[in-house]
Amino acid sequence: MIMNNQEQKSIEEVVLNKIKSGEVKMRPKIYFVLKTTLIALSVFVVILFVLYLVSFIVFTMRASGAWFLPGFGPLGARTFLFSLPWILILIAVILIVALEVFAKHFTFVYRRPIVYSMLIIIALVLLGGFIIERTSFHPDLFWRAREGHLPLMGRIYRDPNMMVEPQNVHHGVVSELTEEGFRLKKSNDEILNVVVSGETQFPFEKEIKEGDIVVVMGERNDDTVQAFGVRRINDELDIFQRRPPRFPPEGR
Amino acid sequence: MGEESSQQKDEEIVRQIQSGKIGLFAVLINRYEDKIKRYSRKFLSDHEDINDVLQDIFIKVYKNIRSFDTKRKFSSWLYRIAHNELINTLKKRKKKTLSLFDLDILFPQSANDSSNSLNQQIDRKDMEKIIDKCIDQVELKYREPIILYYFGGLNYREIADVMQIPISTVGIRIKRGKEIMRSIFEKSGYNL
Repeated sequence: MIMNNQEQKSIEEVVLNKIKSGEVKMRPKIYFVLKTTLIALSVFVVILFVLYLVSFIVFTMRASGAWFLPGFGPLGARTFLFSLPWILILIAVILIVALEVFAKHFTFVYRRPIVYSMLIIIALVLLGGFIIERTSFHPDLFWRAREGHLPLMGRIYRDPNMMVEPQNVHHGVVSELTEEGFRLKKSNDEILNVVVSGETQFPFEKEIKEGDIVVVMGERNDDTVQAFGVRRINDELDIFQRRPPRFPPEGR
Repeated sequence: MGEESSQQKDEEIVRQIQSGKIGLFAVLINRYEDKIKRYSRKFLSDHEDINDVLQDIFIKVYKNIRSFDTKRKFSSWLYRIAHNELINTLKKRKKKTLSLFDLDILFPQSANDSSNSLNQQIDRKDMEKIIDKCIDQVELKYREPIILYYFGGLNYREIADVMQIPISTVGIRIKRGKEIMRSIFEKSGYNL
């Protein structure tokens, strides 16, 4: 017991001596204020970036036509999976995990099972990403990049690999109806002859008119595409309809 | 100053230290040294290591004392610092990563202080005897909440704050830890 008391005293003495000698100093309040501000800012930046990334992923997939493929049955779903931008998705997942790690410092997060906070973060990120994607944010950046007015981020939107159509997927405007099917004018002004047969799938609407924006899935042979499936894209779903007024719609 | 401060709440003492009465830090060391030492012993066996870690814990508390919100409970904050310091010491020593993703954290089932039948069977004093004899043989993840609950006097919510895990996980770990210890206790033929 005596030894224990001496030991206690020594720890107390050592700590107090270090304090009195100035070797150990209390950190000022501003240090903690700055630290908290820095953490909050980092979290804010990560949130903004992950929202941008998720909305950009959806945007590129709509732009390439890949987004609409699951409507073409198992083959469409398989092509959809293969055309997902997995690297961007992986970055988004890493950022979501980083957000979870940040969030775990808050009482209301760590007191509940990690599954709940993870699901809430994923749901909020997806919701936020989809909401941003529905605005004119990405189309505006896309068209600015096309004009050459987006020096830094423009490369992302001009990158031909970013919005490349998946194999056997063709996206464009119906420029003319033909006996076999229709002509499809793509965004690069290329014209394809689309052949529609009795086996062609029309997931939503069968009637195709001139001026419709469509996604066609089918094998291409020179300028002809044997349509496995044709899906008319609702105007609201097509990013090119949300172009700024300075760009007149093509093919209309 | 001594008698007056000995009756003051921890949080009031911290408030005074924050405003410059640094001498009062000795009161906090006196109040918590034994508790933190006992808590540390369940992580580390080496006597010198424990004293070093103990010093580091109190130095860290002093350095960061201005970040403490006096509306909260000081002991939970102190145990949180001790927890981090001990986990870091263990990691350095064993070079072993302690699992962040535990099934108990991912999918905890409900558990609480009062609905535990084991609690009713074994009273607190008996449990403390069992803990003294068997705790070293129990995995760290079960050991720590049990020590905080029985020797640190913290409730489930406070333990959740110290370990930064869900409250329900604290309940499960204490329950499982007690079951493991009871089985060790019975196998070893100890008597209460």
